[in-house]
Amino acid sequence: MNADANGTTGRKWHDRYPELGTGPIPIDPYISRDYFEKERERIFRKVWLNVGRVEQIPQPGDYFVKELAVCNTSIVVVRGDDGTVRAFHNMCAHRGNPVVWNAKGKCKTFTCRYHSWTYGLDGALRYVPDEKNFYGIKKEALGLTPVAVDTWEGFIFINTDPTPKETLQDYLGEAGRSFAGYPFAEIATGCSAWESDVNANWKVCKDAFQEVYHIFSLHNRSTGAAFAGKSNPYLNVHELAIFGTHARISVPASLDWRPTPVEALAKRYGMLTLQKQDSSSQGMPAGVNPTGAPDWSFSGFMCFPNTCLYVADGGFLTHTFWPLSETRTHWEARIYFPKAKTLAQQFSQEYSRATFVDGVLVEDGGMFEKIQSLLASGAKKEIIVGDEELLIRHHHKVTETFFNA
Amino acid sequence: MTERLLPEPFQDLELYLAWSLPTDRERSVKRQTSSMAEINAFYHAMLPKMDEILTYLEQYPPEQVPADVQRLFFLTLSLAKIAPAVEMYGEPNAEGLDALRLVNVDIYPVRS
Repeated sequence: MNADANGTTGRKWHDRYPELGTGPIPIDPYISRDYFEKERERIFRKVWLNVGRVEQIPQPGDYFVKELAVCNTSIVVVRGDDGTVRAFHNMCAHRGNPVVWNAKGKCKTFTCRYHSWTYGLDGALRYVPDEKNFYGIKKEALGLTPVAVDTWEGFIFINTDPTPKETLQDYLGEAGRSFAGYPFAEIATGCSAWESDVNANWKVCKDAFQEVYHIFSLHNRSTGAAFAGKSNPYLNVHELAIFGTHARISVPASLDWRPTPVEALAKRYGMLTLQKQDSSSQGMPAGVNPTGAPDWSFSGFMCFPNTCLYVADGGFLTHTFWPLSETRTHWEARIYFPKAKTLAQQFSQEYSRATFVDGVLVEDGGMFEKIQSLLASGAKKEIIVGDEELLIRHHHKVTETFFNA
Repeated sequence: MTERLLPEPFQDLELYLAWSLPTDRERSVKRQTSSMAEINAFYHAMLPKMDEILTYLEQYPPEQVPADVQRLFFLTLSLAKIAPAVEMYGEPNAEGLDALRLVNVDIYPVRS
C-alpha cells in the first residue's frame, strides 16, 4: 500500500514529528465554554505566563498591573527597593479592593484607596488606619499575596499556581535556551505597543501567528511579496521544530523583493520590522536562523500557551493573547527597536510601525472576528491543517497532554 | 516678524501643514478621513524632498526640537503613515480590523 497516497508520509514536517498525526482539528476547542474553563484551570493557572519586560520597571518603585481575567485575578509587578522584581495579587487583605488602579506608575508604598491600608513594595502590610478598631488582626499575615515571578532574557513571567511544578528555566527548556543570547536588552531600549479586544477565541488569534502559509495570500498587497517570492511562492519555511511544550519557526525572505520608495528611505536610517532581505543572523544564538539560510528573515519562539516571540536582525516583536472568554481575547502586540537617536531614525521606525500596523495587525486582526463569526455555525465540525501549519496541530496536542495530566 | 512655520528650505510644504499632527491617533484619523486624491497629493509633495528632509532631521536628537523642525518631523511621520496607502493598497486603508481599534499604549515609564 502506498502510504503517501493518504498523505501520511513524505511530508517534510510530519515525517519529523509523526506523533502529531495528520487528521483534522475539531472546532469545539474554539467555541466551547467547557473547553475554555479547562484551559483556564489546567493551563493558564498552572504555567508560566509572559506579562512584560524588565524595561517597563527599571527603577525601585516602578510597577505595572496585568489584568489576568483568565486567572480570575489582577497582578501587580513591581521592582522593590532592593532591585528585585516581585509580583502580587492586586488585592487588599481588608475587603478585596485592588490596591493599584493605574496600569503603570511609580510609588514608595501601595495604599488602598478604599481605607488607606498601606503595603510596602515587598508586599508587607505596613499600616492599618484605626487599627484598634479591628479584632486582633496580625499584620504580618495580611500582606499582599505573592505570585511566583521570574525573568528570562528580560521577559517577566508569572505563575499563579501557588506552588509551580517547575522553574521558569525548566519550563522554557531547550526552545528558550536556543534564543538566549539574542540582544534583547540592547534592542528593547525602545518599544511600541498596541492592545485590542477582539471577538474571537484566543487560539484563532494565535493560529494566525503560528504559520506563514497565509502570507502570500492575505498579505498579497502589503508584506507578502517581501517574503513569498518566485522561488518560494507559498513561503515554505526553513524550519519548524518542536521542543516539548514549545516550538520554533524560521522564515525566509524573498530575494526578489525591491523596497518601495518610502521603505527605501526608512531602511537608510534604521532596521525595519521583520527585516527582509539583507538580514544577518551572524553572532546570534542557535535558535535564530537555525539552518543558517542566506535568505533568512525572522525566527519565532512559540512560547506555550499564549506568547509568540519573533526575532529579526535589529528588532524583535511579541504577540500575547489573553483569553477573556471562549469568544473574546485581549490581544497585545509589541515591537522593539533601539531608542532612536535622531529624528531621521524616528521617521524610519515610524515607517516600520505603520507597515506593522497595516500589514500585520489590521490584516491579520481582521480575520479573527470573521473566522469566529462562523465557527459556531455548525457548517463544519473540523478545520484542516497542512504540513506547513504543523505548529497549530502541536498547540492542540500540547493542550491534550495538559488536560490528560 | 511672524514665526516661521517650517524650516526655511521646506517652506513650500506649508500647504500640507494639516498633516503635521503630533499623535499617532490623529495621524490615523487623518489617513482614514482623507480621500485618495488628498493622500496622493501629500505623498507626491513630500517624496521628492525626503532625501533633503531626512539629512536635515538627522542633525536633531529627539529631545528639545525647535517648533518649526518639530512640525516638519510630524509631516514625515504622516508620510510614513500614508505610504502604505499609496505604495501598497491604492486606497486609504488596509483591509481588516479598523486601525482605530488598535490602541497605542506607552508601556515604558515616562520620566519628566
